[in-house]
Amino acid sequence: MQPTLTVRNLTIEYATRRGKVQAIRNVSFDVKRGEALALIGESGSGKTTLGLGIVQLLPVMARITSGDILYRRQDKTGAPPLEIAALTLKGNSLRQFRWRECAMVFQGALNAFNPVLKIADHFRDTAKAHGALNGKSLEERGKHLLNLVRLDAERVWKSYPHELSGGMRQRVLIALALLLDPQLIILDEPTTALDILTQRNIMDVLQELRSKLDFSLIFISHDLSLAAELADRVATVYAGKIVELSDVQTIFKAPTHPYTIGLINAVPTLSGHKDDLTSIPGSPPDLVEMPSGCKFHPRCPLADEQCKTREPESEFAAADHQVTCWQWQKARGVLKSYA
Amino acid sequence: MTTVTRPTRFDLLTLWDRLKSNYLLQKIAQAIFVVWFVTSVTFFVVRAMPGNAVDILIQDLTLAGVSPEDARNQASLLIGLDVDKPLPEQYGTYLLNTLRGDLGQSYKSSGLKVSELIVQVLPWTLFSVGLSLMITFTLGIALGAIMAYNRDTWIDHLLSNLAATLDAVSPILIGLLAILLIGVTWKMIPISDMRGAMSPGMKPEFSWDFIADIFMHVRVLLLVYVLSTIGSWMLQMKSSTIATLGEDYVTVARARGLTDARILTAYVGRNATLPLFTRLAISIGFAVGGSVLLETLFTYRGVGFLLAKAILERDYPVMQGVFLITTTAVVFANLLVDFVYGWLDPRIRIAGGEQ
Repeated sequence: MQPTLTVRNLTIEYATRRGKVQAIRNVSFDVKRGEALALIGESGSGKTTLGLGIVQLLPVMARITSGDILYRRQDKTGAPPLEIAALTLKGNSLRQFRWRECAMVFQGALNAFNPVLKIADHFRDTAKAHGALNGKSLEERGKHLLNLVRLDAERVWKSYPHELSGGMRQRVLIALALLLDPQLIILDEPTTALDILTQRNIMDVLQELRSKLDFSLIFISHDLSLAAELADRVATVYAGKIVELSDVQTIFKAPTHPYTIGLINAVPTLSGHKDDLTSIPGSPPDLVEMPSGCKFHPRCPLADEQCKTREPESEFAAADHQVTCWQWQKARGVLKSYA
Repeated sequence: MTTVTRPTRFDLLTLWDRLKSNYLLQKIAQAIFVVWFVTSVTFFVVRAMPGNAVDILIQDLTLAGVSPEDARNQASLLIGLDVDKPLPEQYGTYLLNTLRGDLGQSYKSSGLKVSELIVQVLPWTLFSVGLSLMITFTLGIALGAIMAYNRDTWIDHLLSNLAATLDAVSPILIGLLAILLIGVTWKMIPISDMRGAMSPGMKPEFSWDFIADIFMHVRVLLLVYVLSTIGSWMLQMKSSTIATLGEDYVTVARARGLTDARILTAYVGRNATLPLFTRLAISIGFAVGGSVLLETLFTYRGVGFLLAKAILERDYPVMQGVFLITTTAVVFANLLVDFVYGWLDPRIRIAGGEQ
């Protein structure tokens, strides 16, 4: 099976007052059929920009300067996949690509719904825009999906957004994302701003959906425990680049990039002592005046002369384990990981 | 006996409770209270003015050669109040008369009832201001949305500056300029067409001639009304649309692949116009009052013109009457918007309404 999404050499620039900024720098990765890929990293690392770039919903000052994004819709019969080069899409075909092929569930679904329209109207609008279901069959499908995300479908269907709680709205948005049966769903911080129980509930819903339905997932989060729970593979993003990418076991049990190790050490665990908890010194780099060499070197305990002058290339630490660091072979031994 | 009265009292109490919990009735009661309050304040303020209105009338009549005794009688007859009676009693009579729809008689156009005078001029004001309000609202919303959608382009800069200029210039200046440029410098429309609400000798009837004639007379005034108010509507719509365009649900609508037309109307347009409806309702209320300055400038016989004349002639019953209907209109327009708004915006839909 070919991957559902192939991203190659993607670069996204923002034009700011202080000059051009590369928010995504030459990023390549695949999302395999049916897998969940988590993008983790601090705020401002470029995770959300990456997601917005795939559906081409970047703010006006942002521009994709290079790269290819290839999306493949394939069914289980093994028939040749329908290939779409996402970045060449314009106008109507781009509109059709969004949500039907790739649905993006945004951060903070609190305001994701038009306050003057009922939930039913949101389903109807979406279906109509893609010439999909209507009338009775739409209502049946909509309510079926609302049931799937564990909502009282009859009540929610007729509700206005303000009549639902934050967690309910987030689940409605997930149900809406499933309406057109897309093969790729991007979840951007789907549990941020929700209390811990609601968060739990949504994670359970997502797990269940993954087991019942057939779609690939890009899960953007700064919460490592959620990523560990949901993802098959994890990519660590730093300063617009994927610095480490491997399966979830390797990333959490045997990380090799100092930044990934630092992120994991910053997460409190139930069994660990609080003295073992360490933060990464400093803050993410200023994208306008990016440091020389490896962008992580000012915060890295292992940085040497080479790190300061030359930016490392991506290397294979193992068959399915990419890392972008000069010191990765040392890192594991020198830096303790408590994960 | 007691067994009979008890249920009755109980019924009255529940009725009172139900009235208290009825939003519509509450609002209407509030509105009536405001109208009563303003009417009373107007009544007492007019009488507290230096040179009591009645005294001035008596003085005028005496100067005209009427004996003081007769002048007093004539005055109380004209005003419909006994001037010798104590103020609270006069106030009571005034309130009762007003409730019956009797607004008293004009001091100057003797024999003419205030209510008749107002009924004569009200249609013209409603016609001119109402029409201009419709044009301004529609055009202002459309232009404001265009400005927001083309933010920071030359269209936006051009329209924003134009709107800010129109908003800053006083209506009376725009009126004078319109007369000067259209009537005198360019001679596009004869000045006599700008004056009055219709040509002399024209009979109000439902005919093409009549409709053409009133439009011919109102067009320059209409233009001045539109030009002097459209600027602020445009700017308000622009800022409201820009705010709405930044809302998450608009981005999500794009991500959902909705058509631009659907996003513009149901997602951006509908939400961006919400705050403008409050203003529209207040404007509709004030439409009843017309514009004192512009109606005088164009000698357009509307409510504003009548009020200006009444102030000049110290015709207090007419002033009171005009203030009363303007207040009532504004208060009830606001009441209307409370209900229309609930229908437009489900978030503030009244409890007990649609579930």
